[in-house]
Formats: sequence, structure tokens, C-alpha cells
Amino acid sequence: MVELLFGRFIELNLFVAIQVIVLGFIGGILSGFIGSGGAFFMTPGMMNLGVPGVVAVGSNITHKFGKAMMGSRKHGEYGNVDKRLALSMVATSFIGIRLAVMINSALFGESGGHGEGDTAASNLYISMVFILILSLVAISMLRDALKSDEEGGGGPSMKIANFIAKLNLPPYVNFKVANVRVSLWVVLICGLATGYLAGTIGVGGFIGVPSMIYIFGVPTAVAAGSELYLAMFMGAWGALNYAFEGFVDLRLTMLLYLGSLLGVYLGAYGVKVVKEVMIRVVTGLIILLCVLSRAVAVPMYLRQLEWLSMNPDWDKYFNGASKGLLFFAGISGTLLILYHVIKAYRQRRRIRTTLIEAETIPEAA
Amino acid sequence: MQIICISRGTFSGGKDLAENLAERLDYACLSREELIDSATKEGIPVGKLEMAMVRPGVFSQRLALERDHYSAFSTAFLCDKITESDGLVYHGRTGHLLLAGVRHVLRVRVLADEEQRIRTVMQNLGLDRDKARKYLREVDEDRKRWVYSMYGVSWEDAANYDLVLNLAFMNLENATSALVNVAQLPDFQMTPAARKVLEDLHLAARARLALARDERTHWAGVKVRADKGVVTVTYLPQDAKVAEFIPAVCRNLPDLKEVRATMAMTNLLWIQEEFRPNSGLYEQVLELATKWNAAVELIRLAPEGESPQGETTMAEPAQATAAKNFREYNGGIEDESSDLSADDGGLKQTLDELAKVGKSGGGRVVYGGQSQLINAIDRSMPYTLVVIGEVFKSKGHAAMLRITRDLRNFLGDRIKAPVVTADELGSHYLFGKRDIIQAGVFLGLTVLLYFLVFTYEEPILAFLAQAGWYAEACRDTFLAKADWGLGVIVSIVVFIITPIVAYFYGSVIMAALKLIKME
Repeated sequence: MVELLFGRFIELNLFVAIQVIVLGFIGGILSGFIGSGGAFFMTPGMMNLGVPGVVAVGSNITHKFGKAMMGSRKHGEYGNVDKRLALSMVATSFIGIRLAVMINSALFGESGGHGEGDTAASNLYISMVFILILSLVAISMLRDALKSDEEGGGGPSMKIANFIAKLNLPPYVNFKVANVRVSLWVVLICGLATGYLAGTIGVGGFIGVPSMIYIFGVPTAVAAGSELYLAMFMGAWGALNYAFEGFVDLRLTMLLYLGSLLGVYLGAYGVKVVKEVMIRVVTGLIILLCVLSRAVAVPMYLRQLEWLSMNPDWDKYFNGASKGLLFFAGISGTLLILYHVIKAYRQRRRIRTTLIEAETIPEAA
Repeated sequence: MQIICISRGTFSGGKDLAENLAERLDYACLSREELIDSATKEGIPVGKLEMAMVRPGVFSQRLALERDHYSAFSTAFLCDKITESDGLVYHGRTGHLLLAGVRHVLRVRVLADEEQRIRTVMQNLGLDRDKARKYLREVDEDRKRWVYSMYGVSWEDAANYDLVLNLAFMNLENATSALVNVAQLPDFQMTPAARKVLEDLHLAARARLALARDERTHWAGVKVRADKGVVTVTYLPQDAKVAEFIPAVCRNLPDLKEVRATMAMTNLLWIQEEFRPNSGLYEQVLELATKWNAAVELIRLAPEGESPQGETTMAEPAQATAAKNFREYNGGIEDESSDLSADDGGLKQTLDELAKVGKSGGGRVVYGGQSQLINAIDRSMPYTLVVIGEVFKSKGHAAMLRITRDLRNFLGDRIKAPVVTADELGSHYLFGKRDIIQAGVFLGLTVLLYFLVFTYEEPILAFLAQAGWYAEACRDTFLAKADWGLGVIVSIVVFIITPIVAYFYGSVIMAALKLIKME
């Protein structure tokens, strides 16, 4: 077990710093490509580097604050931000984040602060939420992709949307930019869930964006833009909360920025040049591999909590396997996206217009 | 030839009014139901499409293709019916929106008293009062969403109609008589120029339909425009394989002169009074189009006084070099077209230049002001950017600036894409000297911040952990006495530092990507 500075921060050398930058870059690419998330790669990635789960989440949500600020600024220029919708979710998302911070802090402090099991309870809790939520997201995303490829349908979440649409839950609020009318109660509940997930695993977007699309009926581009706008507030609130508890490592946040802000723009460029079905399949598979990576680390945390009898020397194998799977998922996904980005960038310079001259067309009758 | 489109709600009485009107004017009458039947026979799953558009959910690529197919089919079907008769009364939801840019269509919205509608629903569907009210509310809501999703406009906006008739206090006969009288006004008689716009729409719709019907091309998301027999098909880079089949699929279309296939990821709309291919703005627009892989569509906004008949008309197509190989396409408007090509404010020349570099998205002339312009813009077209150059030049410099600003705000409220003036284009979207200086300053500040944080790593970590020197320094202060004191200071510092770092470094990255034209 690595000795932690002030009981929570890892020692940073050049090699570790580069790994954090790479994590940020891959997370940024995936985040730009998928439209939300990225933390699903960065949070466990930092945990694999020895960063306690709560510090990984705290540093990541702080990083999300600035990243979402830059992203929503860009989306705002294109008219993709429904500020009213995002602000309606802010209050309950803050409650969700606060709830998550309290649970995380309690679990971190439960084991007294030092020793092998000091971070295990919090790590296990974060890993379990991560596995549960992201498995559901990945599976529904893959089902959606296969279904839409076969018949152009909307996927399983339509059932939820139709069910909620049938309920009469006044008061209703009109959101002009998104052009939807939604029950305030549904908006508040979705805000709470988004905030809780953002606070627990740093990936509120995986609930926020699908909620806006499937439940509220918001167009995809507006959902992504509005969620980023909301994420800016959630990131700010998360940063305040985790920093208050002393769980933000500013060095990690700044190193993540070095990679992520570049990656997020490249990923967003990739979305324009890859087919929609392909985007969902690639995303679903990457998330599933990340889930698997986290699942491999679970026995290690169980042993550290003395809930499982296992040779402590095996920890390094579990951690290594977890790290290997995560990097395999991230790097292969990133390479695939970068391949399409570079191909499109070069193609744009090469191909101009195909002028099909009239000689090929016989005179119209 | 006259076109009257009646937009009606469920049980609003619009159907009876349309049929009465058609009978009185001896015009053909077409209902939305007939259109839907024909679309269904064509194989378009209209019901499923409608559900997908009005209910929440992800709109898949396949549904987007079916929506384009439906839209092209509806336009072509409507145009077929129009050309078959002296006049047509269409009643449905949004017939006039299928004929974007065609002026002199009489657009009527019919409303009825809600109470009366509820009673009709109760009677016809056997529902109780509450259920009937709920039914009407849901149907109206679905229709509003359908119209907005299909055409990007509000169904209820009275500005989209020439006349709104409330049948609550007007009987059918009187309402019909009122419409017959309005229909006689010269404002609603089809002119040769409007007929030409209609023919272009018809050709574009038939071309899109042909592409949707052919198994070699039906899978590609393409946009089709037609200018005087020249069809421009725009396709996405990922659908590049479709290009080789486009001429073969379109070759048998009547009145076709030439087919152009342009690969573009998006469209830019450039509005100006007089175009000059050597101007600075042309260079800027072209640079942006190259960077975004966009086709540039031009609209020449000319003063109303220059109009031959106060009309929206189409310009000569760029590089129509092959026209001589085809039979003369007149459409009954040769004189007007030759007038336009003689003085088109540099439109044709600019389109030719754009076509040479593969960026032409077509062009046209609009005479008048804001309302004529918005009527001519296809709001279902997903433009990425609208650029307003010099317009209203005759008004003097100060007035020109003010009117241009007004126009930008007017279009910004109605078009989903950002609308910028020529000055804003350079500063927002292109890399200039100002960007170099700005990026340099931000880079310097970023390096300084990172240097400071990683040089003073340990004291910073002590501060963040609320331990070490920080706890020591605050030991006897009120901060340490209050449980929350130390944490609050840390929170505030993190809250301030984080967005500053993101803003400085993010601006450097954005400038770098702007420089290599990867946005």
C-alpha cells in the first residue's frame, strides 16, 4: 500500500503525472465523443494509480467544473443550452451531491483514517455504484444501438417515457429552447439522481442526458448542451463540498485538464464523422470494459475490509488486471476515435466536390 | 393557378370549410388524410414516424431518413396536384410549410370554440366531457410538436398565416364567402416567379424521392436543392459512397439539366446585398466553409424597389455550362430570368467561384426586408451559421449598422443556428492576430499557474488537507474555532482557481485547434 501524504494524497513523480494526463486525454476524448461522462474512465484510472476513491471523485468533479464551463460556453454559442431546464434541476442536484459527499466522507472516515482498510470501504462503495449504474447504461445503449440498426426504433427507455407521459403530475413547466413541457416533479427527481451520481462517481451525465432525451423529450444536442450547463453548477457545488472536506487534489485536477480539454474537442469532432450506431456500439463496449475493470478490483477491497480471506500479495494482480482492462478499454476506444478523426481531417483536405457533369445525363424526355 | 392552404385542428370545422371553398372556386381539394394514405402506400411508416417525433425518445438515423422521405413525398405529391389543376385547396396541418419560399400562397388558420370542439368529440367518439377535453389537449400538443419538429416553427404563431378565422361566431357559408373574396386579391395570385420557385421545389422533391426510393442511395442522409433545373445533392462525408450513384438515380427526372453532388458536413448561409468574390468577407466565409467542410448558400437581399414584381426569385445557376445540351427550360418566365442574370449583384459570379472550390450550396435573390427574407429561408435546413454581410446599403452607414443589427436579432430569434454579422465572423470563428496575442498571454499564465502549483506542492497539499502549516497558522483564529472555518477558505480558493485554470488552458487549446482548422 502506497504511503499517502496527509493521509489522502499520492506522491506524484513524472511517470505518474504523465499517466494522469493520459487518463485526462482518454477521458476527454471519450467525454467529447459520448457527449457525457469521461469520469467513468478517469475516476477508476486514478484509483488504480493509488488515489483514494473519494479523492479521485473529488478531484474529478472539481475538474468537471471547469471542463463543463468551457463546454457549455461552446454549446451556448450554437443555441444548444436550455438554461431554464438546467437551472430547474440545479437545486435538487445540489441535494444529490451533498448526499453523495456525506456518504463518501462517512465511509472514508469510518475506518479511522490510516492503515490498509482506510480507503477500502469508500472504494468498495464507489465501485459498486459504478458497476451497477454503468452496467445498466452500457447494456441499454447496446440494445438501443442494435434495435435502432434493425428497425429504427427508440429502445427500451421509451416505455419509461410513455409511462411518465401518461401520469398527470402538475405543475408542468414549459422549456422554450428544448421545446418541451415536463412535470416539475419529474425534473426535480431527475436532478436529484443526476446530482447523486455526479457526487458519487463523477458521472452525472449518464443519468442527466438520457433523462432529458428519454423522459423529457429534449433534442439530443440540447440535452448535451443543457446537461453541460447543469454540470458546471454541479461541478462547482461538488468542488466546494469535496474541497470543504479536504478531498480535492488540485494537482490531479490540473493534470487532468492538460489532457482532457484537448481530448474533449477531438472527441466532439469525432462525433461528426462517425455513424450514430457505431458511436453507441463503441461507447457501450468501452463502458462495459470499464465496468469489468472495476469489478476485478472488488475482491481486493473486500479483502482489505477483511470480508474476504485472501493473500494480500494478490492485491497487486487484481489491481494490475483492473488497470490493464481499463487502459485497454480506454486506449482502444481512443485509438478508434482518433483514427476516424484523423481520417476525416485528411479527407476534408483531399476531397472537395464531385461535379457530375451533364454529359452523363441524357436529355430529359 | 392558385394555392390555398388551410391549417386546421381536430374538429375545428376546417375540413368542411376547405371542401366548401374548393367547390365554390371550382378547385381541387386535397386533405392530409389523402396525403397520408398515399405516403403509406409509398411505404413510409407515417404513424411510427409521427409517434417518434411527438413522443420523447432518441430520433435515430433511420427515422431521420424516413422523415426526409416523407417530407419529399409530401412536397412532390402536393406539387403534382397543383400542376394538375387550376387551383388547389389543401387542408391539413402545415401545407404552406411544405412550399417554403413560394409567395402568394393563401395561408389560412381555422380555429373553433373549445366548447364546441369538446361537444363534437363527445358526440363523435362517445367520450365523457373530461376525457374529450383531455383528448383534444393531447392531440393539439402532439400537433404542435410535430410542426415544430418537422419545420422548426410554432404552429400557433399567427405570423405564419395570412388569415386566422375563428368559426365560433361565423357560420360556414359566411366564412367561405370571406375566403372566396380574399382569394380574389392580387396578393394571392400566383406570379411567374412564384411558379418558378414552385417548379424548383417540385424538382428538388422529386430528386430526393428518387434517391429515397432507389436501393443504391436510400441509406444516405442527403439534402437536395434545385435551381432552374440544376439539382445540387449534398451528402455527408461518411456517406461518400453514394456520390457515384446519384447521377444514375436522377437521370430520368423531367426538367433536369444538371446534377451536382457536393460533400459537406453542414451548410452556411450568407446574406448580402452585393457579392464580390474578391472581397475580404468572401475569403473569410470560404475559410470557414473549408474548415467546417460546409457548403455555402447565398441569399442576395435586394431592396424591394429593384424587384421586377416585388418577388422572391431564383438566380441563374452557377456554372450551368451544360445547359446548352438540354432543351430550353422556360417555365414561362424567360424574360424575368434574363433580367435577373443581367444584374444579380455578383451572385452568379460568386456562386461560380464557390462551385470551383466545391463549396457552392446554391443561391437566390430575395427582394424586400426581414419578413420576405424569413419567408424565403428553409427553417428545417440545419444551418451551422448564418452570416449577414452588407445589406440595406442605400440607407446610409449609421442606419445600415442599426438595421443589420436588427436583422441579426430578428433572424437569431427565428433560426436555430447562430447569426453573426461580418465583424463578428472574424473575431468569433477565424484565427487572427488578436487570437495569437490572446493565446500567447493565456499560455504564459497557464505555465505560471502550473509552475507555482507544482513548485509549492507540499504547502498546497497541506492547505487542501487543512493540515500542516495551514492548520498551524489558523490555530488561534476564529477559523479554527469554528468547525467549518478552514474548509470554507479551502473551498473558496478551489472554487476560484479551478475555472481560471480551465479558462486559460482551454483558451490556448481552442486557439490551437482554430489555427489548424480543426473545430
